Amino acid sequence: MPWYLYLAFKQLFPTGRRFPFFTFMSGLGVAVGVMLLVVSTSVMGGFSYEIRRMIVDTQGEIQVVAAGTIDNADEIIARISKVPGVVAATPYAQGTVMLEYRRRPVFPLIQGVDLSRVNRVIPFNRYMLAGSLDNLDDDSVILSSQLAASLGAMVGSKVDIFSPLLLEKSNGDEIQLPRTVRIAGIFEIGHQQLDRSVVIASIRLMQELYGLKDSVHGINVRLAPGADEFKTAAALNAVLPDDRRALTWFESNADFQHIIRFEKYMVAFLLMFIVVVAALSIMSSLLISVVRKTREIGLLGALGGNPRQIAACFCAQGLFLGLAGTAVGLLLAWLMLTFRDQIVQVLARLTVGEEVFRQFYLFAKLPSHTVGSDLVFIIIGAIISSTLAGLVPAWRASRLKPVEALRNE
Amino acid sequence: MSNAAVILSAQGLRKDYLSGDRRIAVLRGVDLEVKAGESVSIRGESGSGKSTLLHLFSGLDAPDAGVVTWAGTPAQPERRALFLGMVFQSFYLIPELDALQNVLMAGRMLGRVGEPERARAASMLAKVGLAERAEHLPSQLSGGERQRVAVARALMNRPQLLLADEPTGNLDEQTGDAVIELLLDLCRETQTALVLVTHNAAHAAKTGRQLFLHEGVLR
Repeated sequence: MPWYLYLAFKQLFPTGRRFPFFTFMSGLGVAVGVMLLVVSTSVMGGFSYEIRRMIVDTQGEIQVVAAGTIDNADEIIARISKVPGVVAATPYAQGTVMLEYRRRPVFPLIQGVDLSRVNRVIPFNRYMLAGSLDNLDDDSVILSSQLAASLGAMVGSKVDIFSPLLLEKSNGDEIQLPRTVRIAGIFEIGHQQLDRSVVIASIRLMQELYGLKDSVHGINVRLAPGADEFKTAAALNAVLPDDRRALTWFESNADFQHIIRFEKYMVAFLLMFIVVVAALSIMSSLLISVVRKTREIGLLGALGGNPRQIAACFCAQGLFLGLAGTAVGLLLAWLMLTFRDQIVQVLARLTVGEEVFRQFYLFAKLPSHTVGSDLVFIIIGAIISSTLAGLVPAWRASRLKPVEALRNE
Repeated sequence: MSNAAVILSAQGLRKDYLSGDRRIAVLRGVDLEVKAGESVSIRGESGSGKSTLLHLFSGLDAPDAGVVTWAGTPAQPERRALFLGMVFQSFYLIPELDALQNVLMAGRMLGRVGEPERARAASMLAKVGLAERAEHLPSQLSGGERQRVAVARALMNRPQLLLADEPTGNLDEQTGDAVIELLLDLCRETQTALVLVTHNAAHAAKTGRQLFLHEGVLR
């Protein structure tokens, strides 16, 4: 090992000292910065990832939509099923209804699904808490968990549904009775918004409620694993009539996805300043070290060291601190992400309480998804900024003339 | 001694310093030759330019006029680590390294840290009487012990020339005497040329040649 690297290492980890305080404090800043960056980007990435998973699980990777309704759903499904990458497709119709149970009204989103095909596109059974999709027929519905809980309804309970069509007919002095249906099951996706206000019905019931006859609002499309959703959507658009359009899950929720992505980059940008402050702290500590060690620097010159080697000694200290701080930061981030739910529970308990916390956040559990490129960016950024922080003191040290440094008392 | 090779030669060395607008001539034409194995002491008043002269001899500073040669070739910084060793009044040990590693640092500067160099560093520590203190940090050593470590470091690379700048200035009389005896013995034993800058007349008297720097000239 060249003497300047050896000395840099020894100045950070002096012989005979069990706890190198300076090194610990300097590296701690970098570690905290790296930890916060990794945790925040992972959690933000987790939100994005979970939202994608939920969207894809509940509507497939691609949706075929029309300006109005689709009258020839079977013909379109037959056409798009031939496109490479498409595994299955199922029609849907959706809208808002008034649902009443024991004189308590709610206004959920109701989605009608084709019972014979939906399982190949949407894995409902994975999310069923009670009952089963197999029990769903034209006289029953499945409620989301929080909706059922807020109504106090259970599997087997009967609820009344008032559709917009019903209200429209009531305006013409015609007495219209609500459609009474049985609750066939309760599901929970894990997304607060969906679990609070979604009802699943058969597509025939939905067509009846909305007066759609045989029309549907759209078609959900499931792709083969690994199929490129954007390329497949383009291929679907090539075979679809001009008034039908295939949209990927991302395009259907583009605004929301852009907001999440923007938030992720903003949080990363803001937290990057922690690493910058840590780097400035390293610079300040090393500058103090240069001043404190002025005579030693003179000695190194007297022993035969040249200015470049002396500069390398201080620059290497910045690099070592960056490497060590980053490594510790990654370890801390891994620990925080591994135990994130426990940490959030403790925080929630200490502040607003777990129930309130769950009520206001989209997910029951804190999601996390670490993207490799984010990790590489954080690691390289932290190491480069720490090394750059060592450059200023290194430059100062290299400019010291040995004779003047040795005279320094 | 008269047939010995000239290790250090200085001819017509001049050095000026600026003090405000005034130019002060510190050295006004110093001539000196030191042969292998020879010991030379330089005394002078404070501020007479003794340390400046040593810095010119060591190549750490450049003269305004005149030439310094090491064993017949012009002084070059890249040869310094191999050609000469230096001992200072303030010891200048590296506080993060133990005594053995401080001595070995001179070898590291040349990229030599193998087993032979470690053995050499240990033997140098033994020669200065600190074999038992090899793993002690400078902060755990007395002033005299630190200076002995500095002497061992200066002689680690078997230099041809040793420059000592008031090496006893921070030591009590008894310890200072011991350090000077050690320096002279080791230089004699290894035939290393010694230039000793000192205020102490008794220490100067122990060297082979005594010079006095006065008004920028060696006498």
